[in-house]
Amino acid sequence: MTNLISIHNLHYRPNSFPPDKPDILKGIDLEIEKGSFTAIIGRNGSGKTTLIKHINGLLSPSKGKVNVAGLDTSEIKNHPELRKMVGMVFQNPADQIVASTVEEDIAFGLENLNLPPEEIHERVNKQLAEAELLREAKRPPHLLSGGQIQRLALAGVLARRPEIILFDEPTSMLDPITRRAFLDRLSNLHNHGMTIIYITQHMEEAFLAEKVVVINDGKIKLVGKPEEIFQKERILYEIGLDIPESAKFAQLFRELGWDIPENIFTPNTLLETLPTYQKTKAPKKTSPSQESSRQPIIKVENVHYTYLAGTPLAKNALTGADLTVNRGVIHGLAGTNGSGKSTLLQHLNGIYRPNEGSVIVENLDVGDLKTPLIEIVKKVGLVFQNPETQFFEVFVGDEIAFGPKQFGFDDIRVRVKKAMALVGLDFEAFKDRRLETLSGGEKRKVALASTLILDQDILLFDEPTAGMDPQSRDELLSLFTQLQEEGKTILIASHRLDEIAQITVDLSFMKSGQVLDTSPTRKLLFDNKLLLGAGLCPPLIVRIVEKLIENGWPLCDCQCFTPDKLISFLKDLPQ
Amino acid sequence: MSSRFEFLGNATLGQYIPRESWFHKRDPRARLISFLLIFISIIFSPGWWGLFLGLIFVGFIYLLASLPLQNTWLGIKRALPFILILAFLQILFHQTGEIDEVLWKIIGIEITRSSLTSAGLLIARFIILIALLNGFVMSLSASQVTTAIYHILKPFEGLGFPVNDLTMVVQITMRYIPLVAQLAEKTTKAQAARGADWEQRGFNPIKQAKRVIPLIVPLIVNSLKAAETMALAMESRGFNAAHKRSSFHILRLTWNDFVLLLISILFSLIILFSGRVF
Repeated sequence: MTNLISIHNLHYRPNSFPPDKPDILKGIDLEIEKGSFTAIIGRNGSGKTTLIKHINGLLSPSKGKVNVAGLDTSEIKNHPELRKMVGMVFQNPADQIVASTVEEDIAFGLENLNLPPEEIHERVNKQLAEAELLREAKRPPHLLSGGQIQRLALAGVLARRPEIILFDEPTSMLDPITRRAFLDRLSNLHNHGMTIIYITQHMEEAFLAEKVVVINDGKIKLVGKPEEIFQKERILYEIGLDIPESAKFAQLFRELGWDIPENIFTPNTLLETLPTYQKTKAPKKTSPSQESSRQPIIKVENVHYTYLAGTPLAKNALTGADLTVNRGVIHGLAGTNGSGKSTLLQHLNGIYRPNEGSVIVENLDVGDLKTPLIEIVKKVGLVFQNPETQFFEVFVGDEIAFGPKQFGFDDIRVRVKKAMALVGLDFEAFKDRRLETLSGGEKRKVALASTLILDQDILLFDEPTAGMDPQSRDELLSLFTQLQEEGKTILIASHRLDEIAQITVDLSFMKSGQVLDTSPTRKLLFDNKLLLGAGLCPPLIVRIVEKLIENGWPLCDCQCFTPDKLISFLKDLPQ
Repeated sequence: MSSRFEFLGNATLGQYIPRESWFHKRDPRARLISFLLIFISIIFSPGWWGLFLGLIFVGFIYLLASLPLQNTWLGIKRALPFILILAFLQILFHQTGEIDEVLWKIIGIEITRSSLTSAGLLIARFIILIALLNGFVMSLSASQVTTAIYHILKPFEGLGFPVNDLTMVVQITMRYIPLVAQLAEKTTKAQAARGADWEQRGFNPIKQAKRVIPLIVPLIVNSLKAAETMALAMESRGFNAAHKRSSFHILRLTWNDFVLLLISILFSLIILFSGRVF
């Protein structure tokens, strides 16, 4: 194999950078072979995206060289050839859609190749079929679902028949089933000889690759096969990354003295190696946990909502949703993209008023238009999906202080300080920074602080961990627990059941605008039929507990949905 | 009720209804040109007869394309207060050189027969134009408009006219209208969720204007950011690298298209000169 891409001593800093700021890339050396699959992992803001933008010449090195098939990417005369060869799928797929219908968008890249109309039609139809978008061909892209728009973005790239495709965290917005379909498609492309460079936050996804590149602070920290990389867990932890969940469990079980082989990185291999329980003696009964007093704070009954009602684009978002959330608990709301989670959340803080049905939130009737929005907002805080895209101020301090200013609080400075401390941002260092200079993770923290500052009793979060690196995700999950301990009621909408399993007490599943079931998390997670019906995948820990029960382990009343709890439960069992 | 945050519903563009009607099947160039002809002729139509013919033409298109009246009715209802204010001003400030029949006299203001007529014409003209525009957006998609413009202008490419760039500008504008509407929805929701008063009722233009300012700035900033990403995406999809671009759509005029054009030309001429005909 020959090296298709060769990067030598690549440095990059934007021209606008003040002299005291360090370069974004600090001397990258990397060789990528034709037909290979390379995964790039690294924390938010480590320079991954900047690196791949050099491969198709969107950025030009400040120092060093990038060569693709012998073409110097910094030379503009090479760009037509380069763009033909290299396709790129951006992080937010909606960003790369140019045209106002699906088929025209696929055609856009082909028109740029100046192909005759007949060939454009042929290629567009082929891509529409492969992306399963034939029925959507004439629809406007902004009305597609997350999975569809992702497929459209890829179809637009594939139609040009590139040799290399760059992916920038393409799955961060997708639910498990859509994500799996996307990854299958990716493996298929790779098997057909496509060179793939893939940025991801999911350590499991890195296993699809032949080579993993770990980037930290603008430099390459590690390069190697996935199995090699994920054995160096100490280095990965140090730079805020993680190893695949299965590998983590394998290690914990080994520490328990179980006979688990090395090199376990996928759920299936792990499950196969789990031992059977040797003792037959019934273990000591764990005392049933105290059920907290169950007092509803949110009551939703038979809510219907039609988005864009009365227009040709009308879409039923909620079709009779019911939900009860108890005071002082963390409640999970799980469902795929488009199941109505966001719409339901927005009914709880009065952004939407129900077309039909009733919404009662702590004695306030949200459905009654005489209940002013501002009264509801005083009680209920909502952090939207990707909140960092909704900033409207210039400076961090002002953004966070927006809420208290609306309510006319007089202790704004104290509140800002407190809210920033809560999310781990230093007040003095950050209050006067411009929002656009923050990293992705820092922006997310500002967005959180700007809601937490209002100190509402009920907090709603919409996909709060989407696109976060493992360390930031853990920090956020422990923040939720901390807030709950302070007496707040928390509702988290997410398609990540592993996170929901870790921190929630109650759980609801949503599908097609309805709530399928609401039960204690420990019960609902084992309901495989319901889970699959809602289009979700059981988290690994649930699969492990199920397998252990199958192997005779007395785990039936174990409420262990975090690795720590499971291990300590297993330790207490007579071995 | 629909939410006050759904800006997308208020964006008239992008409400195209795909149908298989005779009208929908016509070449987009023919449809675009006939709309333009009728639009201009209704604006300059001298009197009732012209407007009446315009209304007939609009009704004829609604029938041919089997378009629903609901949206149009909503559009008219929304615009009605402004139209009535304009009509009122027309009555107040109407002046003709001729001697006029004075119908009433209220606090020194003479209300004449001709001022009432011109106010009535104004109301009718606006309502017919709104109906025409709604028919236009429901039966011509954004992409058809772009294609039509591209192919109408194509002959001028030889004269150094930047047809490609211009069409791209139109195409991206079309793509941007729903995007900006969604952006506005996101931003206002984010503000409302943090206590901004987006629900204030009643008529208070100053308060309303005050409320809009904190929306406009982030809207512009965020649109610019989105534009930057889109420019990068366009570049990575080979837009800048192209010296010559081809077109996805192939258009072919048929006899039916000429029939539509002929009818439109006839109607618009009669409307324009209706003052002399009737």
